[in-house]
Amino acid sequence: MIKTPKDMKTYKKQLHEALEDSFLRSALDKFNTVYRENRPTVYEGIDFEGIRDLIAENKDRLIPFLETLFDEFKRNAQKAGTIVHRAKDAAQANEIIARIAADNQVKSIIKSKSMTAEETFLNDHLEEKGFEVTETDLGEWIIQLKHEGPSHMVMPAIHLSRYQVGELFEKQTHSRLDKENIDKLVKVARKELRPKFLEADMGISGANFAVADSGTLGLVTNEGNMRLVTTLPKIHVALVGFDKLVPNLKTTLTILKLLPRNATGQAITSYVTWIKGTNQCLNTPNKQKIMHIVFLDNGRLSLSKDPVFSQSLRCIRCGACANVCPIYSKVGGHKYGHVYIGAIGLILTLFYHGKENDRVIVKNCLNCQACKEICPVGIDLPHLIKKTYAQILKQDGKKPVKNWVLSKVMKNRKLFHFLIRQSHLAQKPFTKGAPLIRHLPSFLEKDHGFRSLPVIAKRPLRDQWEKLHQAISNPSLKVALFAGCAIDFIYPEQGKALLTLLQNAKIQTGFPMDQTCCGLPAMMAAEEDTAKKIALQNIRAFKDEKVDYIVTLCASCASHLIHNYQKIFKEAQEDPAGLKSFTRKIIDFSSFMDKVYPLDDHKPTAAKKVAYHAPCHLCRGLKVTEQPRALIQKAGFTYIPSKDEDVCCGFGGSYSVDFPEISREILKKKLDNIEASDAELLVTDCPGCVLQLRGGLDKRQSPIKVMHLVELLSKGQI
Amino acid sequence: MENKKLIQLFTQKAEAVGTIVREMGSASDAIQYTAGIANKKQMNTLACPGLSSKDRDLISDLCKSEKLTFLESPLREQASFLDISLTWANYGIAETGTLMLVSNSEEIRIATMLAQIHIAMLPISKINQDTEAIEHNLDKILKNDTPSFAAFITGASRTADIERVLAIGVHGPVELHIALLKEA
Ligand code: SF4
Ligand code: SF4
Repeated sequence: MIKTPKDMKTYKKQLHEALEDSFLRSALDKFNTVYRENRPTVYEGIDFEGIRDLIAENKDRLIPFLETLFDEFKRNAQKAGTIVHRAKDAAQANEIIARIAADNQVKSIIKSKSMTAEETFLNDHLEEKGFEVTETDLGEWIIQLKHEGPSHMVMPAIHLSRYQVGELFEKQTHSRLDKENIDKLVKVARKELRPKFLEADMGISGANFAVADSGTLGLVTNEGNMRLVTTLPKIHVALVGFDKLVPNLKTTLTILKLLPRNATGQAITSYVTWIKGTNQCLNTPNKQKIMHIVFLDNGRLSLSKDPVFSQSLRCIRCGACANVCPIYSKVGGHKYGHVYIGAIGLILTLFYHGKENDRVIVKNCLNCQACKEICPVGIDLPHLIKKTYAQILKQDGKKPVKNWVLSKVMKNRKLFHFLIRQSHLAQKPFTKGAPLIRHLPSFLEKDHGFRSLPVIAKRPLRDQWEKLHQAISNPSLKVALFAGCAIDFIYPEQGKALLTLLQNAKIQTGFPMDQTCCGLPAMMAAEEDTAKKIALQNIRAFKDEKVDYIVTLCASCASHLIHNYQKIFKEAQEDPAGLKSFTRKIIDFSSFMDKVYPLDDHKPTAAKKVAYHAPCHLCRGLKVTEQPRALIQKAGFTYIPSKDEDVCCGFGGSYSVDFPEISREILKKKLDNIEASDAELLVTDCPGCVLQLRGGLDKRQSPIKVMHLVELLSKGQI
Repeated sequence: MENKKLIQLFTQKAEAVGTIVREMGSASDAIQYTAGIANKKQMNTLACPGLSSKDRDLISDLCKSEKLTFLESPLREQASFLDISLTWANYGIAETGTLMLVSNSEEIRIATMLAQIHIAMLPISKINQDTEAIEHNLDKILKNDTPSFAAFITGASRTADIERVLAIGVHGPVELHIALLKEA
């Protein structure tokens, strides 16, 4: 039985235990890397983005009409003898299925893999009613023997080693087995389950597609058990979510181009099976099967009408959002979902299993965008995760103190900046004059001591601006700087470096003093109203700047200002003056240097070897990938590729404070890769990443220095 | 030439997932081939639902000389000792090395799902480039108001559920062979 913690303390304890499970750690870490590395081969010759957008479009068009599609499906399926039911919730679906079993004097039931049946806890219900239920998918059978829920939507037993599986099988078969040999273990399942198939009275399956215009189910599988489950027993019952309805075969064939590739790295699975109606069954009096399909609503139909969350119904359960998630790869699916696992699990749990089961897990997201990039149906998963959290707070009707304070402070720029300045003073006892805080008070050191922390600058950039800034006669270009909190208050030297570069090229640069935090932290805390108020302040602050570009050194700010500002106002159905021109002018540093800045690129190569860390919000958020690497070379340095450059550093803003243990482990892997790369410098173009990487390397006493790209370029020969 | 390329692509993609592909002349060659495999692998039983009565006679004769038991319908009761099956496939999909098999008949389903080795005969003229090319045909079958059971089959049954290590033959056939026939 699945028990998802409902309070943070229990959850953190479980996360800690998961991080200590060495098999889980190495298996999932390896999986995460291999999955990403194989992707180019898997997708060779396939236009992933084009097909993804097409599927998303198709799905969005049909989602509002699920009920109509259901009617059409039912009509067509009935013509071929299928009995079609609809269940408003899990309990009703389970009751319908148990009743079908009872009415037909069923004793034993075999099942093929179905996440929908996991969702309704169908096995528990059927067993309670006295039926013998056997899972026949290998992974599902393993977890059934272990009395656990799946830890991955496609590979349910990925958390178990061959030895653990071997032990389960030994118990089951009362014999000694060669636990080292996976092939032999698989054959044990084949041998043990064969008689079950032949004896069972009823087979239960799920479905990947319910094709409305013919009343056909489409099932995508590899093992062949589903084919037996749907063929051998005289009764077949399929439990299908309303979201599996598609209008026609064409739509399914399009989805089929991405589903197996994304799920298991196959161009197509071993079996794609199309089943319609009461097929032949030679051991019944009328030589036909009994065929039932139960369509499950359980919140889907109301989701389909939700302007924000309806896109979560696009999900085709490929499981990839877990595969690439840096958190999943550290803690595994039992700690990263309730029944549904991974990014989509953090969302759907609220709607299918209630807020109590989602309350703590929904906070465990870095907003690294890896899931969004991989999703074959283009669901904006990180955004919806935050929206889900906001929804839970709304349903609760009360906010955590942290949110209340954050909202009060951040809405008021002067108060916010005053408090940051104060923290400079508060830090003094710990800094001992150094630019980094290396030792925290002991009660914090244990969890948070994995990185040195930066010091709040004595004088923020805004206070130095007037002195630093020179008026430029006949400027070649006019830009304004959007500093963001990190540059303004922690790393003003990065802002200074930018100003030097700009002034060298006769670019006039403005700094509107009313600008404030971009608002991303508010959004991450699901403080939507605060995020919106902050957005308005910034739009207003830059409204009168007669500039061509608004440059920012922070990748997170850039992607938030460009994408989230539009989302925030679209969702609120508002269109404030200046929004469009503001977002249009925002440009990240690397793109600005690449596209706008007059570069001289005939420079000799300096000896220094530079590794690059790709910030999440730059490489995935803004799709800026090649430019920073090219700039390193153009500035005369040698760019040294390192492993997993585009994997998150584990910072995620306040994430690293809320979940320090996971942040530490993600950072560790990152830094191990950097140290293995032979680089002397590590460069990135986001001050948040600088903070995390520099703090981590400093703690390791590594000789590798961390810089913002702007610092490298201003030191280089550009 | 076009046709040759298609066969090449089909063969290459099928072999990439472990399917054994052989080009041969006609169904009788495929029957000989099946008997040969049965012999080589020391198999005892064979079924071939859906074949013409002429082909069935040929097989049952061969079985006698090869000491193979020819399993007659219904297969259900004999499924637990079914070793090798020979059936027709309806179409081939070159892009993925896939067979499309309409198996409304329970016998064909059992033969293709429960045998250790499944050998499918596919006339080369039935090879298409991709699923789009057979979409219309499949759609027509499914839109019939009668029950139907059709499948795309690509390679043998497989799993990676234990430590993500690929293992072949978990519940379905351990081997899939395709006899590409020049004459149908
Ligand atoms: S945004 Fe990153 S951390 Fe959050 S669920 Fe997606 S992959 Fe995981
Ligand atoms: S949300 Fe997207 S990536 Fe995740 S399982 Fe669903 S389809 Fe796959």
